[in-house]
Amino acid sequence: MECVVQGIIETLHVEALEILLVGLCGAPKQRIRVHELCLKSGPNLVSSEVRLLCDLAKTTPSWTIRHVGGAMRGAGADQLSVLVRPIAESKASSTALRFFYGIGYKLDHEVLKTGFAFQFQNRGANLTVSVTSTNRMPRLHATDDAVPITPGIHLVEITAPAAPENYTEVASAIASFCEYLSPLLHLSKPGISTGIVPTAASAAASLMSSGGGIKIL
Amino acid sequence: MTVKWLMHFQPNQGTTLTSQVMAEACAVAESFPGVSRDGRWRSSMTFYRAVPRDQSLPAPSDLPRDLIGISLHDLPNEYLFVMRSQRLILRAHSSVQTVMDKLQSYKGRFFINFEGLQYKWGDFKLRIGKCLYNPNEALRGIVMEVEYLPLSSIDKSQRVMEEFYEIWREAVASKLLAGQFINTEVNFVEYGLGDSYTPQHTAVLYGMCVVQVIASSNKNQ
Repeated sequence: MECVVQGIIETLHVEALEILLVGLCGAPKQRIRVHELCLKSGPNLVSSEVRLLCDLAKTTPSWTIRHVGGAMRGAGADQLSVLVRPIAESKASSTALRFFYGIGYKLDHEVLKTGFAFQFQNRGANLTVSVTSTNRMPRLHATDDAVPITPGIHLVEITAPAAPENYTEVASAIASFCEYLSPLLHLSKPGISTGIVPTAASAAASLMSSGGGIKIL
Repeated sequence: MTVKWLMHFQPNQGTTLTSQVMAEACAVAESFPGVSRDGRWRSSMTFYRAVPRDQSLPAPSDLPRDLIGISLHDLPNEYLFVMRSQRLILRAHSSVQTVMDKLQSYKGRFFINFEGLQYKWGDFKLRIGKCLYNPNEALRGIVMEVEYLPLSSIDKSQRVMEEFYEIWREAVASKLLAGQFINTEVNFVEYGLGDSYTPQHTAVLYGMCVVQVIASSNKNQ
């Protein structure tokens, strides 16, 4: 299970966001370069979808198989400012793509996500804040030639692992952390867009000139 | 990972495999000078079948019918899939079983456990076990896994494994067991596997061995 919120930020303010996150985190960023392949079962199989993530940031690419479940529903879920959803993941060998093709899955689409991430501990929850550009490939698997799908816009996502007995606390931890980022961007449940924050430009300018003199979390 | 061979017991024509063979095979191992019992072992195998979108129809022929999943005794945090028809192996964290459950496109149709006793004999580890259908525990075969601890190279260990195999065959024959142990022969290159032994090699061995065990069991019933 995980809790997640998303927001967008103009690319020209990403550097300022990074300064803010460095100040909050106190640790270096982690580079993101993930080739994400979304596979769907063929017409003969029970309908299902699986994602394969190939981490290209390291010297040796590593693969993860990921299944994202439907969002939690109901009155309790509606009251939360974060989305809660079941997640199943597994590290796998590089034969993962051939395997899923072999059992009848087809490639639906693929993207390359590039950017960076920071890890935080807030109120006992382990948060990952990622800032990424989503890129499409002009030819099959051509990651070196990928171009941004929305040039000028980056996606910011905060995710945190959760369990049925603690997801409300994790949701609160994310919501409180979002306050630190509010001058630059607003984060909400995926699918509920809040657009660009009006104060982003001035907040970014302030961060760039101050060099990130922010109290560390 | 160090090299392993996997053998299964082929009963003589007209004889039925019983649990007694397991006891006799263990007695052969225990007769080796310097051998020591080293606990128990258990691996398990799941045979998967595709779940068609229209469940009133049989599974389409273009979907694999030989997908098996294996949990090995010495890698409790991992799970391997083998598709012999496509010479394909996937090695993953054991949580991949949760992913497959969520996808619901393939379900386990029947299950086999390999379980028994483990022995240490010099540089060898011997694992003799029953091959049991789950859950009714019907005996389908007897297997023996032989591991040579000093080497990870399949080529370099070939000769010493062959010598062990001959010693084992002679010992089994001298104890008048009603059959013999047959080694599982695999062309690992077809599966894209190299000379350095890995869990993927073991998965392929089990995938091939179980086919022979089931065929032998069906023939003798």
